Order: sequence, then structure tokens, then C-alpha cells
Amino acid sequence: MSNNPPYLEVRGLVKRFGGLVAVNDVGFDIRPGEILGLIGPNGSGKSTVMKLIMGIERPNAGSVKVKGVEMVGWPSHRIARAGVGLVFQHSRPLHRQTVLENIKLALLPDSLLRLAAESHVDGRAREIARSVGLGDVMQRHPSTLPFADLRRMEMAKAIARDPAVVLIDEPFAGLTAAEVGVFSELIRGFRAAGHAVLLVDHNVKSVAALVDRVFAMYLGQRVAEGTADEVMRNETVRRVYLGGSLTAVERRASAAKAKPPLLRVGDLSVLYGKAQALEKVSLEVREGEFVSVVGLNGAGKTTLFNAISGLVPYSGSIRFGEHDLRGMTAGAIARGGIAQCPETRELFGDMSVRENLDLGGQHLSAASRAKQLAWLFELFPILQSRQAQTARTLSGGEQQMLAIGRALMMQPKLLILDEPTLGLAPVILEQLSKALERLRQTTPITVLLGEQNVIFALPHADRVYLLEHARIVWEGDPPSFAAQMGEGYL
Amino acid sequence: MARLLRSRLLWAAVILVALAALMPLWLSAYMLAILTGAYYFGVFAMSWDLLFGFAGEVNFGPTFLIGLGAYTAAMVDNAWGPPIPVCVAAGAVVAVVGGLLLAVPALKLRGPYFGLVTLVAVLLLQNAIVIFAGVTGGEIGMTVTDVLSIDADVNYWYALAFLVASAIILYGLSRSAIGLILQASGQDAVEAQALGFNVTKHKLAAFSISALFSGVAGAMLIFYMGTASVDTVIDISIGVQVIIAAVLGGRRTILGAALGAVLLIVATEFLRPLGQLNTFVVAAVALAVILFFPDGLLGHVLRAGERE
Amino acid sequence: MIGLQILIDGFAISALYGLAAVGFTLIFGVSGVLNLSHGGIMVVAALVGWLGAGELGLGTYLGTLLGVLAGLAAAYVTYLVVVRPIQRSRSIPREETEIFVLTGTLLWGIMIQVGMAYLFTDNPVTMRPLITGVVNILGVRTPRNEIMIAALCWIVIGLLWLLVNRTRVGKSLLAASINPRGLTLLGFELSRIYLLVWTIYGVLAGVAGVLLASFLGVSSNNAGQLTASAFSIVVLGGLGSVSGSLIAAYVVGYLETLTAYLIAPTLRPIPVLLLLVLVVYLRPQGLLGRR
Repeated sequence: MSNNPPYLEVRGLVKRFGGLVAVNDVGFDIRPGEILGLIGPNGSGKSTVMKLIMGIERPNAGSVKVKGVEMVGWPSHRIARAGVGLVFQHSRPLHRQTVLENIKLALLPDSLLRLAAESHVDGRAREIARSVGLGDVMQRHPSTLPFADLRRMEMAKAIARDPAVVLIDEPFAGLTAAEVGVFSELIRGFRAAGHAVLLVDHNVKSVAALVDRVFAMYLGQRVAEGTADEVMRNETVRRVYLGGSLTAVERRASAAKAKPPLLRVGDLSVLYGKAQALEKVSLEVREGEFVSVVGLNGAGKTTLFNAISGLVPYSGSIRFGEHDLRGMTAGAIARGGIAQCPETRELFGDMSVRENLDLGGQHLSAASRAKQLAWLFELFPILQSRQAQTARTLSGGEQQMLAIGRALMMQPKLLILDEPTLGLAPVILEQLSKALERLRQTTPITVLLGEQNVIFALPHADRVYLLEHARIVWEGDPPSFAAQMGEGYL
Repeated sequence: MARLLRSRLLWAAVILVALAALMPLWLSAYMLAILTGAYYFGVFAMSWDLLFGFAGEVNFGPTFLIGLGAYTAAMVDNAWGPPIPVCVAAGAVVAVVGGLLLAVPALKLRGPYFGLVTLVAVLLLQNAIVIFAGVTGGEIGMTVTDVLSIDADVNYWYALAFLVASAIILYGLSRSAIGLILQASGQDAVEAQALGFNVTKHKLAAFSISALFSGVAGAMLIFYMGTASVDTVIDISIGVQVIIAAVLGGRRTILGAALGAVLLIVATEFLRPLGQLNTFVVAAVALAVILFFPDGLLGHVLRAGERE
Repeated sequence: MIGLQILIDGFAISALYGLAAVGFTLIFGVSGVLNLSHGGIMVVAALVGWLGAGELGLGTYLGTLLGVLAGLAAAYVTYLVVVRPIQRSRSIPREETEIFVLTGTLLWGIMIQVGMAYLFTDNPVTMRPLITGVVNILGVRTPRNEIMIAALCWIVIGLLWLLVNRTRVGKSLLAASINPRGLTLLGFELSRIYLLVWTIYGVLAGVAGVLLASFLGVSSNNAGQLTASAFSIVVLGGLGSVSGSLIAAYVVGYLETLTAYLIAPTLRPIPVLLLLVLVVYLRPQGLLGRR
């Protein structure tokens, strides 16, 4: 770390989208030869901050200075030329060009008149390719390259013009453990070369070894700043990211151990393009059980649920009751008794609450539907009072209840809930928690819950799986989880 | 591998052009006329492919640009009678202005909306020509007093030379540094901006270049045929044929568009005995190409090289 | 008197435009397809209906029914042979699917137009009126047929409204246009829903085509123009908005009628085109558009 003046100075950054304040008074410095980790869960505003620095979005207030020059209000291509390089979360290669040509592009001037690149461009592009480890594949096309090499190419493009500031979004997403090590070295190399590096990630642990300092965000604001250790141990951080401190959890009596397995997932692997989203995941949910799959954003929970619901292709096996789900359409799987309440809720925004619920109960007879609706209204009274309201105008908590309610209208055997607590206030969480409790007690329903909020996920669960970087790394019962993973989980 | 292919491509192109130049020795004046028209069509198709491949914009009304160039040249010639190159230049200028007018909504609109704008532009031009029939000859069309030449052979060579020159310029552009930037702007504007390129500037440039070549080709076509009419340079069906030619030949290959245009015109000619149904057959074949060979002829060959 | 004439003629023509446009918008809203063979399907319905009523001696009413069925068949072919294979094709990158569908339907529309011209020649044909006779509305002599057609259009539109807003099936169509993934997660089979939309579309286009033949006459040459009118109206009203299309249909219908009566019949399409340009530059999503 140097004591030179900072390459990047951010002060009082504010960004509003309509009524939503995505970024609220954020400020930090990054010196040359320094790596800052910008950490936060989905919805924390970290990606927006990155876009504001890059000029992809314009801030409502605040200042961004690169090497002392104010950049707010500049178009993003000008900011890029002034010394900011960006590595996007998802690789964006030009498919019809070779790796070398992709890198050369990054070296070209923004001119309409230069027909041919200057003579040194070719040599420089080769040098850069070699420096990131692409020396052997320069003449190949992106579609033939493995995932890690595509990420290398993104890094190469970003540092091609030797920018003062390098922004990297989710540096390790989709990489294997070994590749993470190699890429960490690459990023350390950037630091050694004197760049100011900003790593944006949702997982402190994954970047802890690499960063000099951490800036933690939640709901658009700073919640902590300091070394990685300090931030991980910070009470506020643990509360907002985990839901609180992990105290011992009461052991639940569960009769579920005697029941047959309802859902059996075996060696499930999913590839998104080249990225390994899930790697040989196996789990089991017995009839009447409540199983929680905990893990941070990007661990693979949503992918797991989408595979079960038949929305993404996979290798491995998924058995539900007697049937192998492979080959069934998503609609058929849903009709077969698996109702998923996805992270994005997928409500019919322009239709009323009642219409949404009715669609959920489409396949029931009118009488059953009426009965189910009455039961649902008892579980979530607010849905009854807001029956006629358009779904889009409901609050976040109400929308979540509607989504769960709609899934329950299908009278499913297995209810899958993906991150139901995302973005909800603690009061709503309590209501949801109580509703889940009632659900467990009064019906034989089986529940598979995916959550980042461990405090919410543990009390109801019979068993817990921990999903990290596409793999199941732990399984057991809640008390053991609290005892073993307590301190280390963040 | 791609380099080898390219030089094979180069040799194939050289041989083709040489053969083409010798055609007047063997073919009848009638066939030469067909090919002459086809060559101008080839420039239409290449201009379209440049816009599609390099600005990422689908122009459903290429005849807007072609028609602007053609009619302007014809009207200037009839009004003041300057030499042909001046008329063509006038046509080019108006076409480029038209191209920039189209570019403005293109920068703001996405997907189907922009396509609709291009279609509306053609309809407007068509109606304008019919309304101002006094100057434009309306639905009947107008004649020009000057022509490039009365000799079929000379006209043929003019067209061939124009096609080859355009092909060299457009293909060269597509493979140049500018071409690379244009492709990036069209394919992934956000990434191109993050790499430091002013996408707006480059898209405007792509529209201008496409308009320039379309307009000049349209104007030259008029001075070859001696007449300008809605049916020959403005009608939507002409525009559709331009798109079919480019898709048949292979999107984003430039040279494929020229190839596709020649094949299309010649095939339509051979199907003439079918009478009205020849359009049917051509459309059916084009549909089949879209369904089964979306990469087109040249596209298929070149992609094979990429997949190694 | 001419004011009342414009009012009545404009109403009838707008009703017909509305019916034609509503189908186009429905297909875009639910299926995501801008069907450029729309006019072609209407022409098929019109010509087959005329054939049935006249040459095949089925009489006007059965002929009309045959025409509607022909329109339905044409819509099915469009979906199953052109649109769906392109949407499912794995050799077309996803960003380009829309463009390819657009081009594909354009080509198919041309094939229909030329095919119909070959089979029926391009002479305009008129279906014999469903009701004969003339009625006197406040001094304006109006053919009973014209009133019948306007009424039929609105009945069909009304039935569609009932279907979408009051039936379970209709609500699932509405839901599909808002969030197809959500619908799949509730156990609906999207492929069946798409088939249903195209069926409804086929009937709408078929009825519009046959009524057009009865009111103004139709020839194979009209295919392109009809598509152009439909998408102009739909762009003005907002792609995907049924009520927008209806309002826009009336705006266009009256604009054209006013132009034809008060300025010159040849200048009919001009004000609409200028309006289109204005809309596209100032408010591209149209009056009530969503997407």
C-alpha cells in the first residue's frame, strides 16, 4: 500500500430510481497499489456504485474523481479513456473475432479515420495476452475456449490501456477452487503494477485473502469499513447479512425420519454456458420434512431449484416420489405437485391479488378452490383485505405473501421457497416465520427453503444443507449447524 | 486457418471477377442486362449487410435510401442537366441525409420498433412520390435523358467495376480497425462503451456509409436503365429481395450479400417461365433458407473455419 | 349531411380496422410475434369465403363460415410451419429470433399474396351482402350491410373482451402476456396456450377478412396494404394493448375517412403516415403501449 494520492475518490454518491434510493451517500478512496473490496448482498447497491463510477448510470449527487479529475456526468466511453477499466460479471466476447482481435479492440483509438491499427498494437496485444495466460490460445475463437479463459480475456481487455483504476465485478463467480487461486494471483499482479483495484462481490470470505480493505454495503448505505477480519466480525454486518448472531437452536422433534424420501437429487450438475453453476449436488427431502438449503448469493440455490422445476437443463438425476423428472416439461412438473415460489416471485403484476390466486388454483374444482382460498386467507389475512388490489402496487412483504399464497393454491406436495426474505423488513419476516410455522403444524406439506438469511432458515428446519460455490459442503441438523458453522459462516 | 481461407477467398474472388469480366464474349445482350441489374443489386445487398452486421440494425426498408439516391439523381438531371457524376453525387448526399434521419430513432428504439420505423420511411417516400407526381412522374415513373452508355457491354462493365470497387471498399472496411469497432458497437454497445468507444458516433457512421453506397448504387441504376419508378427502386418487395439476398449469401460477410444478390436475380430470371409463381418460388426458397440454413451460403463456409 | 356521412362511414370502417388490428395486437402481446402475413391471412379468408358463397354455391352465410375456417387454417400454417420452427431453431442466436420471425412472416405473406393472385387473379371480389337493403339514418342512406358489419365487428370484439376478462382460459392468456414463466410455474403448458392464441387470432383475422370482402371487396393485392394498416394502428395504439388498438383504429379510420371526403380520396393514407412518424419519434410505445 502506498501513501500516494488516491487514484479513485468517491464522495457522497447518491442514486435514486424513482422512489427507491439505491445508493445513499457512499464514499471511499482507493490508492494506487491497493485493493478495496465492495461487499454487499443483492440489492445492497454495490453494482449500482460500480455502474456510477463507470458512467453507465449517472448519479443524482456526489463526486467521482479519477486521478483528481471529476468524472461525474461524463459518458462512459470518455471515462474509460480517462483511465477506468471494467471487468463485467458475465464475459462479453466478440464471437466472430479471435482472442487476439478481441484484445486488440481494447487498444484501438476511438477514431473513425484510422483504417488500420498502428504497428505496435499487435505486439502489445500479444504481450497482454501472454501476461494473463492466454499466450497459447490467441488465434482461437471465444466459443472454443473454456470458461476460465474467457474470464482471463475480460481481464486482459480491461487492463489493456493500463488504466489507473480497475473495477472487477464478482471476480470468482463460476471458477473452480484451483482457478480462484490463479485469478487471485493475477489480481495481485494488478496491485503490484500500481493499479487501484475495486473488487465488487457479495461474499466477504471469498475475497478476504485478496483485499487490503473492505467496504460493506446494505440497502444502499455503508454498514462497515475496515480490514476483512474487522468487517466479518462486525455485529451490524453479521446481523444484516445473516439475520443476526447464531445462538444455539432448539432441537425439533421430527417424525420425518421415518417417512420415505419425496425428493431425491443425485449428482446434479448444471452448466450455464461454460460456468459450473452446480457441481455434483446430492440431497434428499423426506415427506413432511422442512429442509433448508443455506448459502450466499451465487452459491447455486436458484439453479438447484430451477433444475428441480425443469427450467434448466442438467446432468444427474432428480426423482420425485416414483417418477424421474427428466424429460418432463416445467408445466408438467408443477402439475405433478412441485410448486416453486421463485426469488423474483414472478407475479402477474397487472392482475389483482384475487386473480393471481385464482390462477394458482386453476386446476382445482370450484369448490376445492373456494375452500383452499378460505384457508389461505386465514393464513395470510392481508391477502383477503387486499384481494382487489393490483399485484404490482403491493408492498414487498405483501407481494411475497401473495407469491407464497399463489403457490399454496396449487395444493402442492412440495413447496420450494427461494430467498423469501430478500429485501423484507424484520417485522414482515416475523409474520412470514409465523405463517411457515402454522403451515408446518397444520398441513402435511413438505418444504424446501433456500435462504441466505440463516437466522430465518434454521428455526423451522429439520435438516440443513450448506451450498457454497456450486457444491454441498455440509449437511446436518440445525443445532449442529449453529455449533459447527457459527463463527466461520460469513 | 482463417487466414488461409481468406486468401483462398481472395483467389476465388479474383477468378470470379475475371470470369465475369469476360462474360460479354459469351452471353447475349439480354443475359448481360440481367447481370448488370444484378450487380447493382449486389451493392444494395452489401450496403444492407454492412448496416446489419456492423450496426446491428435491421433495415426493413433499404429502398428508402436507394430510392432517395435514385430519384434525387433523376430529378436533378431533368431539372438542370448536369453531368452524370454530379447527379449521382447529389443523390448520394440526399441518401446520406436520409440515412442520418433513420439513425436518430435507431439510437433510441429497440428491436421491432426500429424495424417499423424503416418500413414507415419507405411507405412515406412511396406516397410522397405519388403525390408530387408533377416532379416525380408518380406511379408511372420518370425518364432521364442521360444514360451511362447505350452499349450493353459497356454498361455491363460499368456495373461490374462499380460492384468490385464497392466490394473492395465495404469488405475492406469490415475487416479494418473501424470495422472491428463497428461490429463491437453493433453487437454489444455497453461493452464497446466500457472499452472507450463512442457508440453513437460509430452507429451514425455505419448508417452514413450504408446510405452512401445505397444512394450511389440507386442513382447509377437509374442512369443505366434510363427510367426511375416506384416499382423498380422503392417498392417494399424490392427491399425484401435485398434482405433475402443478404441472408441467402450469409449475414455479416459482405461478399456473401453480393453473391446472394447475383444468385437471386439470376434464379428469378430462370424461373420466369413460371410467370407469376416465380416470386412464390423465390420467397419459398428464401423461407427454407431461413429455416434450415440461417447462416446462408458463404456464412456456412466461413463459420466452419471459426469452429476449429 | 356530409358530416353525418363521415360519421357513419368512418364508424363502420373503423370497426373493421379495429377487428383486424386487435388480432394483430393479441398475437404480439401473448406470443411476441409481429405477424407480417396478417393481411395475407385476411385475404385468404376473404377469397375462400367468396369462392364458397359463389362458385361452390354455399350461399352467403355458409360461405362466410368457410372463409373464417380458411383464415383459421392459414393462421395455423403460419404458426406451425413458419413461426414456431424459427422460434425453436437452435441455429439462430436468441437475439436474432425476432428479426428472423419478422422476415419469415414477411416472406410467407408474399407467398400467400402471389399464391392467391395465381389462384384467384388479382381482380377484386366482393361477397354478396349479408343483409340487403338500405336504411335511412337521419337523411343519410346507409346500406343495411354496412350497419350489420359494424355490429358484427363489435360483437366479436365484445366476445373477445368477455373471453379475456371473464373466463379462466382468457385470464391465462392475459397472464401469459404478462409473465410466461410465472404461468409455467403454476402448471400451465405454454405450448398449449400459444396454440390457443393463434386459434383465436385465426378466427379474428378470418372474420375481419370475410367482412371486409362484404363491405369493400378484397383482392390479393390488398394483402400488403392490410398488414401495413394493421401494424400502423397497432403502433399508434401501443404494441400489445388491445384497448389501444381499438382507440387507434378509430383515430385512423376517421382520419382516413375525413381525408377521403374532405381533401381527396387519393391522399387517404397520408395523414396516418405522418401521425405514425410523429408517434414513433415522440412516443414510440404508442398511446397505451406496455412493452
